[in-house]
Amino acid sequence: MISIKNLHASVEGKEILKGLNLEVKPGEVHAIMGPNGSGKSTLASVLAGREDYEVTEGEVTFNGKNLIELSAEDRAREGLFLAFQYPIEIPGVSNINFLKTAINEIREYKGLDPIDPKQFLALVKEKQKLVELDGKLANRSVNEGFSGGEKKRNEIFQMAMLEPTLGILDETDSGLDIDALRIVANGVNKLRSPERSFIVVTHYQRLLDYIVPDYVHVLYNGRIVKTGPKELALELEEKGYDWIKSDAQNAAV
Amino acid sequence: MADKNEILEEHISSEYKYGFVTDIDTEFAPKGLNEDIVRFISKKKNEPEWMLEYRLKAFRHWLTMEEPKHWAHLDYPAVNFQDISYYAAPKKKPTVNSMDEVDPELVKTFEKLGISLEEQKRLVGMESKIAVDAVIDSVSVKTTFKEVLAEKGIIFCSFSEAVHEHPELIRQYMGSVVPYTDNYYAALNSAVFSDGSFCYIPKGVRCPMELSTYFRINSSGTGQFERTLIVADEGAYVSYLEGCTAPQRDENQLHAAVVEIVAQKDGEVKYSTVQNWYPGDKNGKGGIYNFVTKRGICAGSNSKISWTQVETGSAITWKYPSVILKGDNSIGEFYSVAVTNNMQQADTGTKMLHIGRNTKSTIISKGISAGKSNNSYRGLVRISKGAKNARNFSQCDSLLMGDKCGAHTFPYIEIHDKSGVVEHEATTSKIGEDQIFYCNQRGIDTEKAIGLIVNGYCKEVLNQLPMEFAVEAQKLLAVSLEGSVG
Amino acid sequence: MNVMTENKLTERILSGSEAKLVSLAGNASARKNALDEFRRMGVPTKRHEDYKYINPEGLFRLGEFMAKANVVRPVTSHDVEEMTIAPGAAKVVIVNGIFIPELSKLDRLPAGVTVKSIADAVVSDAIAKKYHSTIANDSSDAFIAWNTAMNESGVFIHIAKGATCNIPVHVVHIASNEAASTFHPRNLIVAEVDSSLNVIESFDSIGPVKTLTNVVTEVMVHKGAKLNHYRIQTEGDAAHQMNTTCVVAESGSNYCTYTFSFGGAWVRNNLNISFTQEHTESHLYGLYVTNGNRVVDNHTIVDHAIPNCMSNELYKGVVDGKSTAVFNGKIFVRRDAQKTNAYQTNRNILLSDDATVNTKPQLEIYADDVKCSHGTSTGRLDEDAMFYLRARGVGEASARKMLVRAFAEEVVNNVPDEAIKAYLDNRLNHLMS
Repeated sequence: MISIKNLHASVEGKEILKGLNLEVKPGEVHAIMGPNGSGKSTLASVLAGREDYEVTEGEVTFNGKNLIELSAEDRAREGLFLAFQYPIEIPGVSNINFLKTAINEIREYKGLDPIDPKQFLALVKEKQKLVELDGKLANRSVNEGFSGGEKKRNEIFQMAMLEPTLGILDETDSGLDIDALRIVANGVNKLRSPERSFIVVTHYQRLLDYIVPDYVHVLYNGRIVKTGPKELALELEEKGYDWIKSDAQNAAV
Repeated sequence: MADKNEILEEHISSEYKYGFVTDIDTEFAPKGLNEDIVRFISKKKNEPEWMLEYRLKAFRHWLTMEEPKHWAHLDYPAVNFQDISYYAAPKKKPTVNSMDEVDPELVKTFEKLGISLEEQKRLVGMESKIAVDAVIDSVSVKTTFKEVLAEKGIIFCSFSEAVHEHPELIRQYMGSVVPYTDNYYAALNSAVFSDGSFCYIPKGVRCPMELSTYFRINSSGTGQFERTLIVADEGAYVSYLEGCTAPQRDENQLHAAVVEIVAQKDGEVKYSTVQNWYPGDKNGKGGIYNFVTKRGICAGSNSKISWTQVETGSAITWKYPSVILKGDNSIGEFYSVAVTNNMQQADTGTKMLHIGRNTKSTIISKGISAGKSNNSYRGLVRISKGAKNARNFSQCDSLLMGDKCGAHTFPYIEIHDKSGVVEHEATTSKIGEDQIFYCNQRGIDTEKAIGLIVNGYCKEVLNQLPMEFAVEAQKLLAVSLEGSVG
Repeated sequence: MNVMTENKLTERILSGSEAKLVSLAGNASARKNALDEFRRMGVPTKRHEDYKYINPEGLFRLGEFMAKANVVRPVTSHDVEEMTIAPGAAKVVIVNGIFIPELSKLDRLPAGVTVKSIADAVVSDAIAKKYHSTIANDSSDAFIAWNTAMNESGVFIHIAKGATCNIPVHVVHIASNEAASTFHPRNLIVAEVDSSLNVIESFDSIGPVKTLTNVVTEVMVHKGAKLNHYRIQTEGDAAHQMNTTCVVAESGSNYCTYTFSFGGAWVRNNLNISFTQEHTESHLYGLYVTNGNRVVDNHTIVDHAIPNCMSNELYKGVVDGKSTAVFNGKIFVRRDAQKTNAYQTNRNILLSDDATVNTKPQLEIYADDVKCSHGTSTGRLDEDAMFYLRARGVGEASARKMLVRAFAEEVVNNVPDEAIKAYLDNRLNHLMS
């Protein structure tokens, strides 16, 4: 699915990722955890192709293609989806219009005809249920005036509509109460399949109670310093990140 | 940064698609302006004496006026008024009764512009019918659906025809909203106007279709000086559309029109325009000088006038569609999208003059500046003494694309009555890089993303346009702004 | 035709000026040049866009302010005491544009703070010489030119690098004359790097004789300096004021200005702030309360010529009687001034059918990565709120006063100095009773 080798990336000349390796196979769910400032969100942004982030070294192969060379939109069209930590508001552009444009752009890239409007609407109705999204929100402007929970649910709804092969959830749990968290996680779980993989970036373990990962990685100082089964998340929850930090520092010495 | 500039560059080079010239046999007046030319125009049009007198009075007044240059936020070389031909007309009969008599080149011209002069072609269904008055250079060439409208007592014809056929209405209303003394260009227009549209909706009649005038400058070395007069009598309603284009030429051509609207008691006029005059090339060569006076009066109580404009063209635009709210409970609205690119300059806005009681006005202005252009909103809201409970709300937003353009807001607010409530808000923003990235991440490329975001930004205004026009306006916005992001 | 009459008017205003000029301190040729500039421009008419609502020419047409004899109506220390705003402040008294050492109280100023007559400073003080006439340098402004030509005195305030002045410096401007006349006080405030200073300029008048005070204040705020600058205008009904304040602010500085216009027949404030270095911040607050036939006109310009600066402006007005209030705020963001944050708000309450508000908040923006907004609203008192208060048993007059006070309070609450705030509250109570 995606293979990341020795990835170095910097923002405004400051190196954030310092040789990161990660291999995700189809159907797998990988959780990336780590203390604040360890580079978790940077990883999500770099994979999605945000311009402010410069890849200085390393390679990323996504479904056999060199991801780094692709534009942000082509990465999306290839099936990479980023659920934003802070979803963007676009005033005046309805959610529906936005999604339809996105779907048709992706279809065009794949050499398909535009989606049939009726089929599209049926799809909207079906997928809304997945995250218990109010039908009215679909007609509102993209994320404008949405509550924090609605924004996150809207991200998962969009993911359901665009059917990516790799979903990257960037701190999707931040700012969610327990009910919203459950809804969002259920939505994601329904989208799990043998062909679809997820990278779940989170600071807290609680999201992983709902979205159970196959692997947990600890990101610290721009590198993955520890990898383990799902139980690692519990251990982190209990002991915090300090022991990881000192281990990593000792290893570096 | 380099990427952005490339995209900007691409946008700047996007072509004006109405820049063709039609080869029509045309008759001109000699260049220059004096009383003889005014008489020549009047004679050409076989006008009655009172019309000539009006023109001459306007001309003599114009001679005493100074060209206004200092107050608008515009910069352009002086216009040489003696180097313009004030009359140009296709040589074939200016008014025609059937399609067979129209110069085939002309029919082609309008078809290229997406305007069909053949009624049959437009009879797709009663709902979407639009009656068209086509004005090329100085004269109206064809008005469609006249008979259908006549059955309801609606008059929709060229201005010249109205001077002959309905002198009482013309004499009553012409100059009643925009007197020839109003301003320099209104005076000039009153002296040399060549043609335009007249429409009158009688008492209690709702006009069953959109009325539309399509203006086209074709000849070089000419100016276009048309006049439009729309009267909605008591309880009448009309939705009126105006479109305009001009060929791509290296010279600057002057367009100085006058539009007058009168809404009597309970009358309503909705005036929509998509203005797409040739804006000049990317170095600012050529393009139309668009110096237009548009004003309506809500003369009677409960009347309403609504201006909606999408401005994408012209080298220079100087235009403030206004409403005099004289009748009690009358309503004035102004919805505007003004796009400037390359070297274009626009100084546009509105005036809402509250005189009657309980009058309301709304101003929504969306400016978009790109390239090296300058885009100014200039508006006046005046609550006169005695205009009890007047209300105004204004929202003026500017969107900047790139770091070489300018966006300016000059709202004048004058309140002379304590019961008035006036609110004005303005913001300036650019298209956020995060918004574009968000779209990209969903598979939408940057070009399309900008189109989406700009259309979203203008939505409140575009929603005001009749369906056919809204589609055209959206396309126009997309064409003129694709890829221009900073 | 018009040009002729205008020239005549200006000539009448200027008659005798050349002779007087010779006796004034400072650079004589600079004064002469400024006088010629003023003569060339003339008194602005209402055709001048910046003066369209108040027409200064009209004042002079009435033949006022042109008496040649400057006969001072004596001012006593008791009069000055009455004009106290912040007890304990150092006081500089300027009567009819002349610095009066005998009435001033400067003994408590801390080290590092210099306060003296500008007439002396421009001759003897290197810093005063360096900045005088370089900040108020708009050559198209007739009133600045006139002041530059004719100013006799005023105050120079200097605070040294790193110094903090723990008491406010209160400049008491008093117009007090036996014959109608025009005065031209000239002030210069220089706050050196990382200094901290509070300056109050108050404007009062004594007596029934018409006066015009054409004051120009130049302000230089160096890196990291903090300056709170108050203008409190409480002149009587015979007093007219043309007030020009020009400010240059350097990086990391914070210039806050508070303009309270409570008196005077005709008051025009021009406040121009330029940012010449990045990361500069400025706050502009204004409150005008007008009644009778008074005219108060606030023109502000914030010139963002440099990236990464922030300005925030809030002006409010309570307009009653047959008075006229004008607000004209201009935010100018130049081509390179990216990352500018500039906000402007003007709100007015009209209390009378005969009062007028003209407001023109302007944005001129030439950079795209900026956050700029302005908003203005004008209306009567909130009727729902009035009704609510009355339904709770508050009488109409008290309810109105309460709401107007609440409206005005938003500006007063931004005043950091408790003594000044108490003075303003007291003054507002007095105005509204």
